[in-house]
Amino acid sequence: MTQSATLIPMGDAALLLRFSEVVSDDANRAAVALASRLAAAPPEGVEEVAPGLVSVLLRLREGTDRRRLSGELMLLMGTTEPPPAATHRLAVSYDGEDIAEVAGRLGLAPDEFVALHTARLLRVLATGFAPGFVYCGFHEAELTLPRREHVRPLVEAGTVLFAAGQTAIAATPIRSGWHIIGRTTFQNFDALAVPPTRLNAGDLIGFEEAR
Amino acid sequence: MSLLTITRVGPLTTLQDAGRFGMLRHGISASGPMDRGGFAEAAAELRLMGTTAIEFTRAGLGFRAEQGLAIGVGGGGFRLLVNGTTLSWPTRVELEPGDLVEIRPAGAGNYGYVRFERELEVAPVLGSRSTNVTVGLGGFRGRALRAGDKIALAGEGGAAVGVTRPAPGDGPIRVIWGLHADMFHPAVRRRFAEEAFEISTNLDRMGVKLIDRDGVFREQKRLNLVSDAIVAGDIQILGDGTPAVLMRDHQTTGGYPRIATVVTADFDRFAQMRPGSEVRFRPVTLEHAR
Repeated sequence: MTQSATLIPMGDAALLLRFSEVVSDDANRAAVALASRLAAAPPEGVEEVAPGLVSVLLRLREGTDRRRLSGELMLLMGTTEPPPAATHRLAVSYDGEDIAEVAGRLGLAPDEFVALHTARLLRVLATGFAPGFVYCGFHEAELTLPRREHVRPLVEAGTVLFAAGQTAIAATPIRSGWHIIGRTTFQNFDALAVPPTRLNAGDLIGFEEAR
Repeated sequence: MSLLTITRVGPLTTLQDAGRFGMLRHGISASGPMDRGGFAEAAAELRLMGTTAIEFTRAGLGFRAEQGLAIGVGGGGFRLLVNGTTLSWPTRVELEPGDLVEIRPAGAGNYGYVRFERELEVAPVLGSRSTNVTVGLGGFRGRALRAGDKIALAGEGGAAVGVTRPAPGDGPIRVIWGLHADMFHPAVRRRFAEEAFEISTNLDRMGVKLIDRDGVFREQKRLNLVSDAIVAGDIQILGDGTPAVLMRDHQTTGGYPRIATVVTADFDRFAQMRPGSEVRFRPVTLEHAR
């Protein structure tokens, strides 16, 4: 389906193309596809393109003619193809401190939860919040829980987090209000590598139980 | 080749170049100087200009030149002493081996800059020598400077670019209505633009919390928002109603509602406002953001 975005100024130096005010698969796919297209051939005045969960942020050169840019962006909407997606298999030790609680709240035994969590591929929805932190989704409605009441002090890089119909992976130590379901040795962020992250928005992710 | 030794340092003194641009898609904000004008001012009197400055905070900075060294200082209002003699601010100084530089707090500002005619010998990380302390990335071993740190300077910098620094002005800080402005009640928006806020002591390179003395956001309800892109200058309202302005080391995305964004031309002036200062915000259109 064709998605159109609202253009919202983010201060005087950036522009947000927002496809939806709520998280949705369609809006995310539209954002990922448009960001990929714009990054490959940035319009005049666009210095940086960053895809988000439901939007694309454009950092603009000072003095950019926004009217001309808006026109160009509108012409691109709906013409974009999804970028080629790599598939990654990530081994997870499902021994997070919240896994029993998470499974229990979903009416599952822990091993049933793991079976469902590894059953199908997810998409990388976005990288954001912290270096290399990825949101992956979407889980089915039966695997959806709200966040925790309280934010935890630092969780380590490699922590596999679960909330809001998504699984996220911390790539640096962060504070998080998500449920901790496990850990992976996969490191998405390496400051000395170019590019510094391995997962791209739109890539496919399959979780496997670590042996 | 040249070398300096840090003798006295305040909290959160870091190395900063213009910024680590182009990394938002990897979840990394640009960092860079809190006061870009002050950063440029410190270089303005140099003949050559390394890319990277020492950004120091309100307590000032002390260091010893182990070899001869030309420096430029600027940003905020600090007091510069070289071997105990007070010099002007901003200025350029040719240091002799063994000279002691002491920068003391004075009239104004949270951030000042020392720049050099040579390039600091720290390896760029992801294309920049800026420090992101939150992430432990870049600069001097990914951390704030400490007394006793020795910083080497090597190759000559490029030709210094003369800058004319516009007068900072003293009116309200201009903002553009933000990503979630339409989710705030019109009366809250009106009061946001009318009432004064106070700069709190809770401020760093990630953000500046404001004291909402008049309770503009007291009744603010928690909103369940999609985590969306953040830019430097965004004014977000935390879950307890505290307004906070996001600064150079901001998270790249966040889920708190953002009512407005400080315009580029007023960002430096805001960054330099000290705790206890009163700040007012004036919404302007993009055409009036220059």
